[in-house]
Order: sequence, then structure tokens, then C-alpha cells
Amino acid sequence: MVYSLFNVMDFKLFQKPQRYIGNEWNVVKKDHSNKVTICLGYPDLYEVGMSNLGLRIIYGALNQFNDVVCERVFMPAPDLARFLRKRNKKLFSLETKTPLDQFAVLGFNFNYVLNFINFLHILNLGGLPVKASQRRDIIVLGGGIDNPQPLAEFVDVFFLGEFEGTVPNFVNVLRKYKDKESRLKALSQIEGVYVPKFYTSVFENNSYKLIKDYKYAKLPIKRVYVRDLNTSFYPVKWLTPHTQIIHDRIPVEIARGCPNQCTFCQARAFYWPYRQRSISTIEETVKESYRHSGYENFSFLSLSASDYSSIEDLIDRTSAFFQERKIGLSLPSLRADDILGRLYTKLAKIKKTSLTIAVEAANESLRRDLNKKIDINKLFEAVKVVRTLRLKHIKTYFMFGFPQETGDDLAAIGVLLRKLHSQSGLSLNASINTFIPKPFSLWEGEPMQTEAVLLQKKNVILRNVRFNRNLRIFLSNPKKSILEAVICRADRKFWSVIYRAFTKDTEFSTYDDASFLKLWYNAIEEEAIDYRFYLEAKTDNFPWSFIETGQKL
Amino acid sequence: MNIAKYPVKITLYKKGEMIYFSQLDIMHVLERALRRTPLALFYTQGFNPHVKISFSKALKLGVEGKIEVTLYFTSKVSLDELTGNLTPQLPAGLDIV
Repeated sequence: MVYSLFNVMDFKLFQKPQRYIGNEWNVVKKDHSNKVTICLGYPDLYEVGMSNLGLRIIYGALNQFNDVVCERVFMPAPDLARFLRKRNKKLFSLETKTPLDQFAVLGFNFNYVLNFINFLHILNLGGLPVKASQRRDIIVLGGGIDNPQPLAEFVDVFFLGEFEGTVPNFVNVLRKYKDKESRLKALSQIEGVYVPKFYTSVFENNSYKLIKDYKYAKLPIKRVYVRDLNTSFYPVKWLTPHTQIIHDRIPVEIARGCPNQCTFCQARAFYWPYRQRSISTIEETVKESYRHSGYENFSFLSLSASDYSSIEDLIDRTSAFFQERKIGLSLPSLRADDILGRLYTKLAKIKKTSLTIAVEAANESLRRDLNKKIDINKLFEAVKVVRTLRLKHIKTYFMFGFPQETGDDLAAIGVLLRKLHSQSGLSLNASINTFIPKPFSLWEGEPMQTEAVLLQKKNVILRNVRFNRNLRIFLSNPKKSILEAVICRADRKFWSVIYRAFTKDTEFSTYDDASFLKLWYNAIEEEAIDYRFYLEAKTDNFPWSFIETGQKL
Repeated sequence: MNIAKYPVKITLYKKGEMIYFSQLDIMHVLERALRRTPLALFYTQGFNPHVKISFSKALKLGVEGKIEVTLYFTSKVSLDELTGNLTPQLPAGLDIV
């Protein structure tokens, strides 16, 4: 049923109405009758959600089936959200403006913990109960998450790992079974699927344990992944927005996973194992997605482009295509020595916008602890070469808040930034992020530092930075990092905090850091949860330990 | 290096869903639509080359109306040829008149 929200509501009333139109180039609009209806939700604004590759892959993969309709919904900005609540109207999908409660399945991407509140807002604004047990027919599916336990009360089905390969199986279950209970039972037998209601979670003798309540459900649960990236689905009929989005380019995956073993890194485990796409597949993807979209910017996406085994050949084979059409290409995640060495002349030919260098730690000894391999001398030589490339600025990444870090490690960040600027002559953007012991990273068992220690460390960093107009620093707020750590490391009982934070957020304040943090911390206090418990890593295992990633060292 | 530049003037009509898209948005829409055609596009020179498009005047956001645009090519393109190639690449609500 498509209702006439579009007619009764004038989008002119809202800021950036482009977000709600749903008329992108290559958008898929289908009639809903006799079809499995799915709406993909992203708990952030349109321009953020549309920059997510996973959402686009799933959208395209599901819409391949003639008897499946897959649409999208994003978190509305506060003005539209308040309007809907006040007028008692339901949040709708972009494509056909169908209220969310008319779909059979809602699928969410949970890639950022502080957006969990927005997830509940979307359900609530869409006319649905937020708790899984209170929804009679609709199935809420969640993916893109490391530790699903804090959301177990709200989500019917989690999908752990890469969904592409499971899409046909998933669709078959929805075709074959019509009621929620039998759908959930059938889904729970698929590899990578976690249906929380079929398990009881207990914490005893200092460790977490999951007990099966439905004998056919899987345990342990294995994350699943695509074997061959050359044959897996890629959304070349690129959904092209008519307005600017955050990452306004087509990311063409060249590899998934990472062969390095940086101790703090979660992505390594999350996208395990390391797989590459062949040059011919990448070439084909570039050409096809350009033909369908006319996009003027591309990027070669991977966690570490330098590790792609034939990166030189790849650039050789594709650069003429980009050059002739004046298409921008960015190559994030290149190692500094590559910029200097084998790739320098090749990169000079391509219209490029920025260069990113993840240094992580300014001192070699700390970098060795982190298993981060960078030759700093080569980096500085590279930076000199960079002067001759057509770059606007250099982006650098650092981390702080490691237990073994010294005052000198922190002070060295400022020194390194000064040297990078003076030797490159370019302006610098430096992101300095707090170390969070993320689930599945090699250091998941390290304690997260206290706010007092982190604030003190932050001051040491800032004292040693010489500010000028060529240097922009983004230093994460320890209070926010701690909250992120708590939520991603929490267990099932943390649902009550999320729920309380959601009910307190009556004004949709998600986009205002200060009030948003206060709201979360108040919710934690009111629920009397000792959040340090999740950060000290004193338990024998973790709430997410029932999940097998399969990664080996 | 001097590249030949052949301007073609067209009038577009913005209506329906497209009224919510700004002048800057429409510029991107046109650039991408042109890039999807086989026409020989003229790119601006310099640091950040893009498809050259010039607008005569801006249309307010949220209203329908005419937009006059000049598009540039590196070889002679007739109005018919342009219309024939561009029309199928334009979103509903943005039409050549």
C-alpha cells in the first residue's frame, strides 16, 4: 500500500528536501503486490548512509530478484522527525513513500554504536514497536555489527559477516515461510545468522555463555564471507544522487580484508580473510559503473591499497580511462614508501584530491608494539615528492590512549606534524583518535583507559602542537570514545540503557554532541550500570565470544 | 594547449520532484548526464577539470521554471544530436524544451 504522504506534505518545509525525494539515477521502483517487501534502513542522515557501500551492495543484490522489492529509509533530520511525530504520520521509504510498518522485513546497517538511538527512532517513527518480542509480523534484521548483544532485545535476526552470498538463501526462506516464527526458525539454521530469541545468555564463573533454546539454531555462530570477489555481486548500476553526499565518489573495491596485523585494528578481523579482486574485474567495474552513472570521482577501496599485489599494473591499466574523461581517482590507504617509489610517476598523471597517511604512533617503539610497519625516513622522502603531485592537503591519522604509551610518545605527535608540514609545504589534517579495545581486534582484551588519564594525555598532545592555519586537528573527545567503547563491548542487559537513552531523546538531538553525550551518561546512571566493568577486560571471555571469525594469526 | 570549444545553448524546464534540487545540484545532474552520453565534452582547464556548463540565471529552490544553460563540446554538435543523446539521460522533471 502506497499512501499519499508526498501529496499532503510539502518537502519545501524541510531543510535539504533532496534527502527525501528518492529519485536518484538508477533507483529501483517496483509494484509491491505479491512481492517480498524489504526496506533497508540506515540510522544516519541520507548523505551519510548513501556513502555506505554495504547498503548499496545489499540494495542491488536484493532487487535482482523479480519477486523482491527493496527500498531505503534513512534517519530523517530533526525537523522532519518532529513534524512526523507531531502530525502522527509514519516514516516512509524513499522509493514509494510506503510507511515502514507495511514492509515484511526491515534491514539495518549498524556500523556506528552511537547511532543505535537513531535505529530505534526509525522503528518508532515508522509505527513499529522497538522491542522484537512486541512485533507480530515484521522482521527486523541487523548487519554490519561486531557485537550484536547490546541490541539483542530490539533485533529479530542478526546477520554476521558478509551478506552477499546468503541473499538467495534468505530470499528463499521469505518466499517459503509466511509467519514470523517459522521464518525465524528457518533463518536461524543458516550459517552466519543469529536469532537472539533462540538463545539464553548467562554470565557465570566470570565468563559469558550462550545456551540454545531451539535445537536447530547454530552455536557457535560463524561469521560468513564471500569466497571470490570476482564473482560476487557489485552494484554497477550505481545509484547516483542528484545532490551531494559525504563521500561523493564511486568506491571500487580492489581488495577486502587486510594482510597486516595491527593490534588495535578491528577491520582486519571484521573483513577477514584477505581477498583481492582481479584487475580485469576492477576494470570492468570501473567502466560499467561509469557508463551507468557518469560519476566524476572514483576511489580504489581497500584497507591497504599498497598490499594489492599488482597495484602498479592496476593503475597502468586504468589510468588512461580516468585521464581521458577527467575523472578523479583517490587511492586511500597507500603506504608512504609506495608514493615515493613505484607509484610516483603514475600518480602524478591522475587528478587526485588528497593523500592519507596512517601513522598511528609518532615514535617507532610504540609503532612496533602496535605492529604498524612504517619506515619514517621513507615517509619524509615521500613527503618531499608529494610537493610535486597535485594535492590539496595531506591527511594523517594518529591514535592515543594505549596503556604502554609514554609522555614522549604523545609529545612526538606535534613534532612529527610540524616536520610533515615544513617538508611538504602542504596543509595538514590530523585526526588523533582514542584507542578503543574493539571486539575481535587483537587487543580486545586490553583495558580502556579512564577519562581522567585520557584527558591528561590529550593535554600533553595539545601542548606540543604548534597551531597555524595550515594545520587542522581533530582530537577525539575521551568521553565520547569511552561511551563508544562501553556500547560496543556491552552485553545483553545493556539494552535498558539504549532504550532509556532513546526515550530521553525526544528532540532528536543525535547531531549535537554535547547534549547527546549527557543523555547517554544520564541513561547509564539511571539504569545503575557500572560501565567500567565493560572496559576493564577482567572477564575470561567477552559477550561476543560466541562468534567465530575464523581469523588466524 | 588550445582546444576548440563549441557552445550549444539549451533551455531546460525544471518541475515535479526536481524542484527540490538546487542550481549546484542541477549542475552535477547535467555533468553526469552528459558524461553518460558519447558526446565529445569540453572540460575546464586547470587544477580540477570538470565538464564546462554555464547557467544564465539561477532558479529559486522549490519552484518550477525555465533554466537556460550553455553546454560546451570539442567538436560541432547540433541541437538535435544533443537533444537526442541527452534526453534519455535526464531525470524525470528535468526536460529540454
